[in-house]
Amino acid sequence: MTTTEAPSGFGKYLGIYVSMLLITVIEVVIAYQHPSGARLLVSMLLLAAIGAVLGVLYFMGLGSENHSSIVAFCVFTLFVLATINYGWTDSFRILFGAPFSK
Amino acid sequence: MSHSDVVLGGHHVPAMEPSPFAVPAKKLAMWLFIISDIMTFAACLVAYGFLRNSTPNWPRPFQSSTIVSVMVMTFILVTSSLIMVLAVRAAKAGDKAGAVKYSMFTLVAGVIFAILHIREWMGMIAQGVTFYKNPWGTGLFGGAYFSVTGMELLHVIAGLIALLIVSLGYKSGRYSAGDIENCGLFWQFINIVWMFVVPLVYLMNVAS
Repeated sequence: MTTTEAPSGFGKYLGIYVSMLLITVIEVVIAYQHPSGARLLVSMLLLAAIGAVLGVLYFMGLGSENHSSIVAFCVFTLFVLATINYGWTDSFRILFGAPFSK
Repeated sequence: MSHSDVVLGGHHVPAMEPSPFAVPAKKLAMWLFIISDIMTFAACLVAYGFLRNSTPNWPRPFQSSTIVSVMVMTFILVTSSLIMVLAVRAAKAGDKAGAVKYSMFTLVAGVIFAILHIREWMGMIAQGVTFYKNPWGTGLFGGAYFSVTGMELLHVIAGLIALLIVSLGYKSGRYSAGDIENCGLFWQFINIVWMFVVPLVYLMNVAS
């Protein structure tokens, strides 16, 4: 994952820093509005994912790596997350006895 | 023919294959470690989410004082990430003194974060929260809370130890700028995980 771009200014990182803090503030505001469970979960996950993507692309420098590295990282990570979520199907079976209860 | 070449079938070929994706081996190893660590945290958070959603009397104990404390911790950790970026940039530019200085600032911020984290735990324990019981509802809450935040704290402590060793080693010439960069990758990963821990563990359980 060699750097393919010239080092850019500090302002970009400062912008990401402020964005990450802002995302946390928005999350707190949403949490104190006490929305319904599903809406709260989706909002929190979405905002956390935006913060994480900013962190990975800029603070971890993935955005300035070569294209194949970015693709490899995304594919591996999605595969890992997909594998983890395989457990949900069994969780729902335990909770509701579905879809294999009959 | 260089020393790193061998003759194979009458042709000179490099003795070692080039690194995949043109990535230095240590950096590739760090990225692969981070991907596997994503699996660990994702497993913890998915298990937590499953318990949280499937338990009717899940406690929502976090008062405003806790949320303020968590916001301060977030500010410190995100700031430490920004400082770590400066350390990596200085190391890449060959500014050894600057890289060590920024690494030490990151270290101090990380120590403050860890102290606040432990203080938060002590507050929870003082309220009667253990792995198996708590005053508010299902006993699973304590197990889930301490597991997820404990994983984060464990990573912070590991990151601090690694940062101390690598930055001192870089100062003495034992480690290279690439090692500072790898350490920085791990530190940034800790910050990213915290971005998920705060909303899922704390903000979803704010007291009504």
